[in-house]
Amino acid sequence: MRNIQAVMQRELLALFCSPIGYIVIAGFLLITGVSVWWTDTFAPGKPATLREVFFWTPWILTVIVPAISMRMLSEEYRSGTIESLMTAPVSDFQMVLGKYLAALVFYLIMLATTLLYVVLMGVYGNPDWGATAATYLGLVLIGALFSAFSVFASSLTANQVVAWILGWVPLLLFACLAFFVVRQVEGVWRQVFQQVNVIGRFDDFSKGLITTDGITFFVAATALFVFLTVKVVESRRWR
Amino acid sequence: MIEVRNLSKYYGNRAAVDDISFDVQAGEIVGFLGPNGAGKTTTLRILTCYMPATSGSAKVAGHDVLTESMQVRSAVGYLPESVPLYHEMRVREYLRFRGKLRGLDRAAREAAIARVTNKCWLRDVIDRPIGQLSKGYRQRVGLADALLHNPKVLVLDEPTVGLDPTQIRETRSLIRALAADHTVILSSHILPEVEATCQRIIIIHNGKLVAQGTPEELRERITGETNLIVEVRGPQAAVADHVRKLGGVTDVQAATHDGWCRLTVAARRDVREDVFQLAVAQQWPLRELRREVASLEDFFVKIVAGARAHDGPAARD
Ligand SMILES: Nc1ncnc2c1ncn2[C@@H]1O[C@H](COP(=O)(O)OP(=O)(O)OP(=O)(O)O)[C@@H](O)[C@H]1O
Ligand SMILES: [Mg+2]
Repeated sequence: MRNIQAVMQRELLALFCSPIGYIVIAGFLLITGVSVWWTDTFAPGKPATLREVFFWTPWILTVIVPAISMRMLSEEYRSGTIESLMTAPVSDFQMVLGKYLAALVFYLIMLATTLLYVVLMGVYGNPDWGATAATYLGLVLIGALFSAFSVFASSLTANQVVAWILGWVPLLLFACLAFFVVRQVEGVWRQVFQQVNVIGRFDDFSKGLITTDGITFFVAATALFVFLTVKVVESRRWR
Repeated sequence: MIEVRNLSKYYGNRAAVDDISFDVQAGEIVGFLGPNGAGKTTTLRILTCYMPATSGSAKVAGHDVLTESMQVRSAVGYLPESVPLYHEMRVREYLRFRGKLRGLDRAAREAAIARVTNKCWLRDVIDRPIGQLSKGYRQRVGLADALLHNPKVLVLDEPTVGLDPTQIRETRSLIRALAADHTVILSSHILPEVEATCQRIIIIHNGKLVAQGTPEELRERITGETNLIVEVRGPQAAVADHVRKLGGVTDVQAATHDGWCRLTVAARRDVREDVFQLAVAQQWPLRELRREVASLEDFFVKIVAGARAHDGPAARD
């Protein structure tokens, strides 16, 4: 437990010491801010909901979340610090989990900044609190899954930029494009895309529709990628 | 304290470590010596649980490196060859982080940091970012990290590379002082370095163990080949001829410079007196007569060259 916490704290420190952390938060705030203005959310007479504001957020997150964790393992491999980490009494699982939790905590801090819009909405309108809470639950689950996938991508290479690309390209292809593809295909593929259709699942959440199926998908997929990361890290020892 | 049995490590089908066995007793300082690419780092990485061996076994502090990895890692302090550190952290932050990983609670951690700061002369840089430190200071931070939890076994991969001469001397005496309650295994390709700090030397080449023993034992193995240096004034051909006829002489090499004939004589016994008598009888002025004690350096070069010649044909088939 202490090991996981130590690794997590170090990662968070590194994120807040480097420009990338601030660039990511600033970029995220800018984009969501622009979409608040674009969708005219706080215009009088409009139904007070954040559904439109956050409609494009998963697309943005596919690019932003991999940037948070792109260096978490790749940089350890590049600089060789992985050697002192892996010879300390820390299991590979503890190390990966510590790093994953750091990515998640950072994401949650980033997401928390958008609560400002909820406050504004509460001041200027009469928001649907249930749908808002469900939207945030969806955003948390998406962040948890994308973070796990990004840490996994980072474990595959010693190059940060490659790790970033390995993070967002599959996320965009599978998680987001599935939203469109799912209507074009038939049979088994339809089922597959229905499963990985993150945007569709998120849209359910933002309508206030929380299903066990939805939550199970995110939690299971997150656990799968954390597990795969541990396996990649373990297998790298044998090379 | 360390038990290595038939250890091998293959990268692909290339052996980096090839069937090595050795022991290190508690409290010993052992030097791991070999030219570049000999397999020193690879062996130390197996001992510190960074990578598993392809075959064979190793025990450190009574625990198997494969099956009881966590116990081994807790018992070992390791300074990797490249001294990897997080450049964005300050020295104190880094040592705190490492202390946490080592399972030290806050009080023990701060005490340990104070101790290693003193031991490794880090006081001036303790609050500076590691990225701004010079190579030598980073080396000391790495050493401080290895000492932090007062480990039973210290594994140091080329601990004095990049240090200035004063620091090298101080690091050597630090390592010797540590031997009182630690077992130390360190690697190097510089023989005098190992000779100055270690009680025992293990020489490896191309992944194979080629010799081991105390510096004295290794030196003894070459005293049989001691050379005699003789300088007399006389005709080179005649001098060489007469010396060659002395009993026990196996080889004579001669060169004349400014009328002085310089001989390098290899003999199976001590022929210094005979050479003197010869010079007197022949009325050749004698200005030098000494035994050239082979250094360990020569021994190392010879062993490596021998191993190379020996490996040559084997590597081809
Ligand atoms: N990750 C790796 N992949 C493939 N081959 C490797 C790897 N690491 C080391 N080797 C090879 O294994 C052999 C032994 O390397 P090792 O680093 O153990 O040597 P060394 O004795 O530490 O040398 P040096 O004095 O240069 O540090 C070398 O031939 C090297 O090329
Ligand atoms: Mg080496």
